[in-house]
Amino acid sequence: MNTIVAAALMLAAARQVQSRGDDPNLRRIQAMLAKPAAMCGRFEQAKTLVGLRRPVKSSGRFCVVLEKGVLWTTVLPFPATLRLTKDEIVESHGAEVTKRLSAREEPTVGIINDLLFSLLQGDLGRLTASFAITSTVDDREWTAKLVPKDGGMKHVIAGIELSGGTFVRQITIREASGDATEISFSSIATGAAALLPDESRQFDLPAGSAPHPEDHER
Amino acid sequence: MRRGLARAWMAVVLAALLHNGWMWLVQRRTPETDLLALLPMDERDPTVGRAVANVADAAQQYFVVLVGSTDWTGARAAAAAYSHVLEAHPEWFGPVEQGALDEEQAMAPWWSRRAGLLTAADRRLLLGATPESWASTAMQNLTSPLGTGRIGAWQDDPFGVFRDWLQARAAETPVRPVDGLLRVDDDSMHYAVLPIRLRGRAFSFFAQQAVVPLLYEADSAAQRAAPGIRLLSAGIILPAAAAARQADHEMSTIGWGSLLGIVLLVWLALRSFRPIGLVLLSLGVGTLGALSVTALIYPKVHLITLVFGASLVGTAADYGLNYLCARVGDSRDPWIVMRTLLPGLACGVVTTVVAYLGLALTPFPGLQQMAVFAAVGLVFAWITVALWFPLIGGPAIQSSRLALWFGATRARWPVVNRSATTVAAGVAAAVVIAIGIMRLKPNDDIRLLQNSPPGIIEQEGEVGRILRAPAMTQFYVVRAASESELLVREEQLRVRLDSLATARVIDGYQAVSSWVPSAETQARDHELVATRLYGASGPLSRLATALGEDGTWVEATRRRLVAPAAPLTIKEWLASPISEPYRHLWLGEAGGEWASVVSLQGIDDAKLATLDAAAAGLRGVTFVDKIAEISGLLGRYRREMGWVIAFSYVAIFLLLLPRYGRRAWRVVAPSILASLAALALFGIVGQPLQLFHVLALLIIFGSGVDYAIFLIERPDAREGNAWLGVGLSAMSTLLSFGLLSLSQTPVLRAFGLTMLVGITVSMLASPYFCTDR
Repeated sequence: MNTIVAAALMLAAARQVQSRGDDPNLRRIQAMLAKPAAMCGRFEQAKTLVGLRRPVKSSGRFCVVLEKGVLWTTVLPFPATLRLTKDEIVESHGAEVTKRLSAREEPTVGIINDLLFSLLQGDLGRLTASFAITSTVDDREWTAKLVPKDGGMKHVIAGIELSGGTFVRQITIREASGDATEISFSSIATGAAALLPDESRQFDLPAGSAPHPEDHER
Repeated sequence: MRRGLARAWMAVVLAALLHNGWMWLVQRRTPETDLLALLPMDERDPTVGRAVANVADAAQQYFVVLVGSTDWTGARAAAAAYSHVLEAHPEWFGPVEQGALDEEQAMAPWWSRRAGLLTAADRRLLLGATPESWASTAMQNLTSPLGTGRIGAWQDDPFGVFRDWLQARAAETPVRPVDGLLRVDDDSMHYAVLPIRLRGRAFSFFAQQAVVPLLYEADSAAQRAAPGIRLLSAGIILPAAAAARQADHEMSTIGWGSLLGIVLLVWLALRSFRPIGLVLLSLGVGTLGALSVTALIYPKVHLITLVFGASLVGTAADYGLNYLCARVGDSRDPWIVMRTLLPGLACGVVTTVVAYLGLALTPFPGLQQMAVFAAVGLVFAWITVALWFPLIGGPAIQSSRLALWFGATRARWPVVNRSATTVAAGVAAAVVIAIGIMRLKPNDDIRLLQNSPPGIIEQEGEVGRILRAPAMTQFYVVRAASESELLVREEQLRVRLDSLATARVIDGYQAVSSWVPSAETQARDHELVATRLYGASGPLSRLATALGEDGTWVEATRRRLVAPAAPLTIKEWLASPISEPYRHLWLGEAGGEWASVVSLQGIDDAKLATLDAAAAGLRGVTFVDKIAEISGLLGRYRREMGWVIAFSYVAIFLLLLPRYGRRAWRVVAPSILASLAALALFGIVGQPLQLFHVLALLIIFGSGVDYAIFLIERPDAREGNAWLGVGLSAMSTLLSFGLLSLSQTPVLRAFGLTMLVGITVSMLASPYFCTDR
């Protein structure tokens, strides 16, 4: 009798692991990633658009802060700021806000913020809910290919490719229309000190104090 | 002759019996439970009527479940378990709609006409903002790490104006397709939205019986799949089923309660089962006849009619009891007794039928049915008493102690005279009544009659708030002589609604012309886009320079994006799955008139005046407030009903004048006093006066006049049998209608309370006015 119960419990436990899609590769990647509470760095982006001869390039700084959101500060070809939090997406040009989309008007603001946040942190575990993921991993490097599971999202995104080591180093987003965005990251710093005073202000943080400052650059 | 008539009556009763058997056993008819069927057809405006019916129809099929959790994965699992239960019953539930609508395909007609679709904001910017700012905004969008759009590639909508238009359409609802489901967020809660299409009408008794248990089963399946999830459901079937269950339950308790009470009373007073059998027989024949005739006149008999039918038991017993009590200790030939009683009985039935038929003067189909049911039931019971009771009534009834004691109280009863006591009592009564009636305040708000269990109303409110559901009872109706004119008029209204939305008076609105702008607007917007956006001096060439493209690219892009297209039509909108949640807004054409509904989100009572004012001066736009309209109608008929009663008293007084001469006023005095006493009581306890109180006063009129007639027919104070008959009648009426004051249905409770006071007073007052001393 007891053995039957024990066997049933083990079966149930095994099924749970499976249903979470916990494949060993993903676990290794997760272990490798730093996932700090706050990190900033440089980005270089190239958009390849159907019908245009040259890709549209831009570069600047980005910050990802836990519980806050994502800050995307373009420096070249001209200054522009994009701030994503769970409540709103704000685009600004210098001091002037050029566009503001609140979660009240557009409920998917939170979802977009979640997606971008997970992508930048390389949080593949959270992304398994919406994407089928195939990955490769060795001691220092990993790559992952994400394909949307849901029919609705398939009409927009064809696939996403990620690669990196301790941090995500490159993201390629391929849209179903043929347009693609390729972003690479460098000079990544973590912890509270990573944020410039102006960046802290954007997240309503006191200058130089991001949450959980125990992380350090690896 | 007498036996011939009795036999002929037997044939009629048998016919009614057969008809009933055929209806209930062979045809398997079910009573109507549709509460809307109780409301009057809209009297004035067929288009508004069509709008109301359309919106109500959409509401009836509407059943939505929100499966919520702070953890979206849990909500998804629970939603899947919920849908799984319903999918096993395709006979009752349409397929649960999922989020996997192929947006690209569904939106194809709009995509190909995107050059003619602009939001109000972009239209303003095209007229106001410089080409430089358009170009730099477009460039700024290209620095975003996010994608460029939901449909098509960047080059198909480089300035994002169609994306803005789509965003504005999407903003009409907070629901979004996520992970193959529909999802709505509320604070930290994520809800999976399950819009469920019910096959069969929400008010159909059978549908309720089958569907409601399945919904509960699905609820518990969802709870099992993800314990702790929050389930919210809304749909008319829930309150409708609750109301039907209630009425069903009360019909049996009140019906049986009143029968039991009457049986007990008659047995205690007359110590024999034969009178009980006879009274039951007269009531049974009355009910059979009422059912037959009502069903012959009305194709659908309403459950409320049957509830009243059950209560009718008390009133129809009056005649039998009057005859049976007259035979207490009287060994004369039964036919002779009947002949002496017949004039009084005839006066009784005529006055009561006149009173009940007053109900038929109301515009409420349910009340008209009740009037027919009541009048026919009374006539059938009366004929049974008159023709059958002397034949089968048996020998004289032995007096019981209770009967003797009660009959003797008449001799000791105070009577009206010219003494100081009478004057003092009269003045005191007049003062109390005057104070009470002065305090009486009418309130005709139909929502006072609402009777849903609080849990159901609460959930409905939550679902409405989370989904930002448009109001079902207040909206605009727009009409015009043609489809194109209709869209133009809607757009004129929308300009005002946009500013109300900006001022946060309303959350938003839903209109057909948001999806299909008028041909004029499409042409104007197309022109604006072609010149200001893609024209030679527009931002396109600046954008090309910034992107390093040449004039060939500019020319190719312009040609592609401003290619002329036939305007978008209503027909295309109706054919697209996109219009599914909005189709009830389109009323189409009837009698050369085109009409549509514009529905409003986030409104409350305080905003109605503003919304009504917003329609002022707009041709073909009417603000419809169905609640105010029905409440107003209830008030109008409450007042008219009051006049019907007043005139009935005058008419009956004149009718009785030849027979009773100077004593005729005594016949109407007890009921008038009883009615005034009931009204005064409501004034003193602060219960607002409604139509249903006044309807009860009409029935008090009928019964009270019966009592007075039976007593004044035999005015001698020693005539205990007439008083015994009145006592038993009043007691049984109180038992049946008095039980209605225990009903949970506000309409029936108001009615029952009035009856309780009115019948008590008219019974006690009858010997006071109608006894000679």
